[in-house]
Amino acid sequence: MNRRVFVRNMCYGGIATCVLPNVSFAQVEQPGRFVFVLLRGGFDGLAAVVPYGDTDYRALRGSFAFSEAELTPLDATFALAPGLAPLRVLWDANELAVLHAMAIPHRTRSHFDGQAILETGLDRPVGASDGWLNRLLQVMSGRRAGIAIAAGMPLSLTGAYEVESWSPAKLGVVDDTFLERLAVLYRADAALHGRFEAALQQQDLVGEEPMARGNARRGGITPLMQAAARILRQDRGPNIAAMEFSGWDTHANQGMAGGALDRLLGQLAEGLVAFRADMGAAWQTTTVVVMTEFGRTARPNGTRGTDHGTAGAGFVLGPELSRSLVVSDWPGLAESALYEGRDLKPTLDTRAVLKAALAGTFDLTATQLDRIFPNSGGVRAPAGLMG
Amino acid sequence: MDLALRALNRFGLGARPGERRAISDSRGWLKAQLDGGAPSFPSTETPSAVAIGDALRRLRQPGQKSEQERREARRGVVDLAGAEARSGLEARIGSDRPFVERLVAFWSNHLCVSAAAKILVAPLAGSYERAVIRPHVLGRFEDMVLASAKHPAMLAYLDNFQSIGPSSPGARATQRNGGARRGLNENYARELLELHTLGVTGGYTQEDVQALARILTGWTIDGIGGPGSRFAPGGPPRPGRGGTGVVRRVRTEQGGAIGFAFREMLHEPGTKTLLKARYDEEGLAEGEHAVRALCRHPSTAQFVAAKLASHFVSDDPPAAAVDRLARAFRSSDGDLKVMARALVDEPEAWRDDARKFRTPQDWFVAVMRAFGSNEVSPNAPALLRQLRQPLWSPPSPKGFGDAMQEWADPDSLLNRGELSRTLSRLPSLGALEPGSLLDVVDVPSANPLHALVADTSIPARERVALVIAGPAFQWR
Repeated sequence: MNRRVFVRNMCYGGIATCVLPNVSFAQVEQPGRFVFVLLRGGFDGLAAVVPYGDTDYRALRGSFAFSEAELTPLDATFALAPGLAPLRVLWDANELAVLHAMAIPHRTRSHFDGQAILETGLDRPVGASDGWLNRLLQVMSGRRAGIAIAAGMPLSLTGAYEVESWSPAKLGVVDDTFLERLAVLYRADAALHGRFEAALQQQDLVGEEPMARGNARRGGITPLMQAAARILRQDRGPNIAAMEFSGWDTHANQGMAGGALDRLLGQLAEGLVAFRADMGAAWQTTTVVVMTEFGRTARPNGTRGTDHGTAGAGFVLGPELSRSLVVSDWPGLAESALYEGRDLKPTLDTRAVLKAALAGTFDLTATQLDRIFPNSGGVRAPAGLMG
Repeated sequence: MDLALRALNRFGLGARPGERRAISDSRGWLKAQLDGGAPSFPSTETPSAVAIGDALRRLRQPGQKSEQERREARRGVVDLAGAEARSGLEARIGSDRPFVERLVAFWSNHLCVSAAAKILVAPLAGSYERAVIRPHVLGRFEDMVLASAKHPAMLAYLDNFQSIGPSSPGARATQRNGGARRGLNENYARELLELHTLGVTGGYTQEDVQALARILTGWTIDGIGGPGSRFAPGGPPRPGRGGTGVVRRVRTEQGGAIGFAFREMLHEPGTKTLLKARYDEEGLAEGEHAVRALCRHPSTAQFVAAKLASHFVSDDPPAAAVDRLARAFRSSDGDLKVMARALVDEPEAWRDDARKFRTPQDWFVAVMRAFGSNEVSPNAPALLRQLRQPLWSPPSPKGFGDAMQEWADPDSLLNRGELSRTLSRLPSLGALEPGSLLDVVDVPSANPLHALVADTSIPARERVALVIAGPAFQWR
C-alpha cells in the first residue's frame, strides 16, 4: 500500500480506534507563514550589527572594532558585519528590520534561563510552561499547523497543540506494513499515540522529498533553510515553524572578518537569502524572526572572545515589514551607559518585537496576543515596524 | 506493575531475558549493587595520559605541516575518541551492577564535558569518566566535583585552562613584552555555580561568578602547549621579576602525560570574596576550599536532589520526594552512596503511574541488553548520533535532558522505528526468539503486542523490531 493511502485509511477510514490528532493539513489555505529562528548560545550583537557611528565604539571594542571599509552601512550609526553582507539584498528590498539593544524581559546571563524565557514567552523563569509558538497555534486552533525543523522539539513549540517535527537525520524509509503494525501498538499508549500519528502524517507530507533530506544532511545552515522552504511553501503544509542553530557561544577566539563568528554569520545570511528565494510566491506573506537568548560582554574578554552579556541584536525579515529599518532606542556605548558597567543596556523587549511581527502576519486581537505572551499588556509594539 | 522490572528498567539499564525471575527482593537487589566499591571498567586497553598527550600535541603542533600530516594527526585524535566511546558503551551494556552503571551515566552527564564541542576534549572524555566519575560515584560529591575541576577535559571544555588573572605576574610580564592582553574567562566559573552546584536560582551574583573565576585562575592543563607550558612555542616560562613559574604537577606520570597544573604565575593574587565568604590568597588551596564550599552550600543539596528525583522518579517529581533526597544529601555531607540508597527507598519512584521515557542512550543500551549482547556494534556511535544523543557529546554544558518532552517528538519516534529494524537485523543476534523479549517489557495481557509477537506469519526479526520500537519499550 502506498504510504499516502495508508495514512488516509488509518485516519479517515473505518478504523474506529483512531483518534485524529490535532494536526490539520486539509484546511482552507492560509496565506500567513511565520518562522522563528533561535540562535542558541547568545550571539554577539555588537559583532553582527556594528554601531560604527557611536563615538565610543572603537575605544570600547579595541581589537574587536571593525574598520569602516569592511562594513555594509545601514545608516550613520549601524552597519552589517562583513559576514552579513548578503542581507543587503533584503535591506534594499525593504524586507529587513534590524533590532538592537534588545533583550528578553528578565535579566540573566544563564543560557538555559535565557533560552527558556525566550521560548516560553514569559517574563521570568518558571518551572514548566508551554512555548509561545504552541500558544499561537492554540489561539488560532484549527487553522494552523506547526513544525519544528530541528533535531528534537524546541521548547517554543512544546505544548498542548500537537505539532510535527522534521529533521534531516532520518535514516531512510520504513515500509508501510511495519509502520501499520507499529501504529497498532502506539494506539494502545495514550501518552504517545498522538505523537506517533503526527509523525506518520508528516512522513506522508514531506517524506517523499528525498532531495531535501539529502541536501540538509550535508550540514550547514543553508541546506536546512532550503529544506524548510520546501516544507513551508506548500499550500496545505505547516505554516508556523521553529528552527535553531547553535555555535554562537564565542568565549574564545571569536575572530574578526573571516573568523569563526563571522563565518557563522555568513552562513546565516546565505541561509536566509536562500530561504527567501526558495519560498517562491509564498515569501510574500512570510515573516521570519531571528533572536538569541542574550548579547555578550561589550568588551572582549581575556581569551579573545566575549562572555555572557545582556542586550544584543536580532532581525525581522519579510515583505510584511513596513520598510527596511533599524529599530533601536540606542543606549550608547559610553562607560556610564553600559549595563552593570559591562554589557549593552537593554532598551527593547523581545516580546514587543514578537507581538508586532505576529500581528503584522496574522489577524490577531490584542487579547490573543496577551494570551500568547502573558503579562505583556504593557509591552508596546515598536512604532512603524510592520506594514 | 512488576517490581523486578521496575528495578531492572527504571534503576538499572534494562532487563535481560530471564533476569526478572531471578529477583525476589527488588530493593535488596539494587542495594546489594552498592557494595563492592567503585565500579570497575571492563576494558583494559584504555589509552594512557601519555598517548592522549602525544595525539593532541601532534594535532596542535604549529606550522610547517602538510595537509596529509594534519589529516593524520586529526585522524589519530578521532580514532582515540571513537575507541573510548565504544569502551564506554560496552561498560553500560555489559554491566552486572547496572544500577551503579546508571549512576555513572547520571553523574557523568551532570558534570558533563562534550567531545563534540572541541577536538581537544574528544580524546579526553573517556578518561574523564574513568578518572573523575567512577572513583567517586559511591563516594563524596565534593570529591567528584573537585576531580572534575582539575581534569584536563573540563579545563579545556569550559575554557578555564586559558583564563588568566589580569593582575597575575604572567599577564603583566606578557604585557611588558608587548604581547596581547590576556585575562579572565568566566565560562567555567559560571557553569560550576549554575549547573554543577548551586543551580541558577541558588543565590549567587555576577560578582560571585567573577570572584570564582579569579580564584580558579592558574588551574590549567599541563602537556598541551598552553600559556607558559613546556610545550608552548616559546619554550618553558623563564623565572622573572614578576614571579616564578611554579608548576605543581598533580599527576606524576612521565613527561608526555596530559594532566592538571596549577601555575602560580597565572593566578590572580589577592583576597577574594565569594558568596560573602572571604578567601585569602592561598594559591591552589584557595580554589580547593572554594569548590568544596560550593558543594556544601544548601542550594546545592536542593539542586542535586531535584535533578536526581527527576531522573529516577518522574519528569515532574513531587516536592516531598525532592525534600527527602535533599535532607539525605545535607545530613550525609553529600555522600553519594547514601543518596543511592535514598533513591531506592523513595516510595514515589515505585508508583505505578510514575513513568520515565527512555532517552536514546537508555533505549539503545536497553535494546542491546535485551538482546543479551555484550558487544558494541561498530556503528553504535553513529547510531546514537542519528538519535541526537552521542555518548559524552551533549549540545551544551547543561548536559542531556531526560524529560519526555525532549525526546518523544514525532520525528524521533519514527527514527526509533526505523532503527529498530536495522538493529533487529544485526548478524550477531543469531536466532533470537521474539517471545523472549516479552520478558523485558511490562505489558498487560490485553496489549496488542502479545498477539503480534505470537503471529508467526510475521518474520521473527520483524517481530523483534516491533518489540523494541513499540511504545512499551520506550518507557523505563
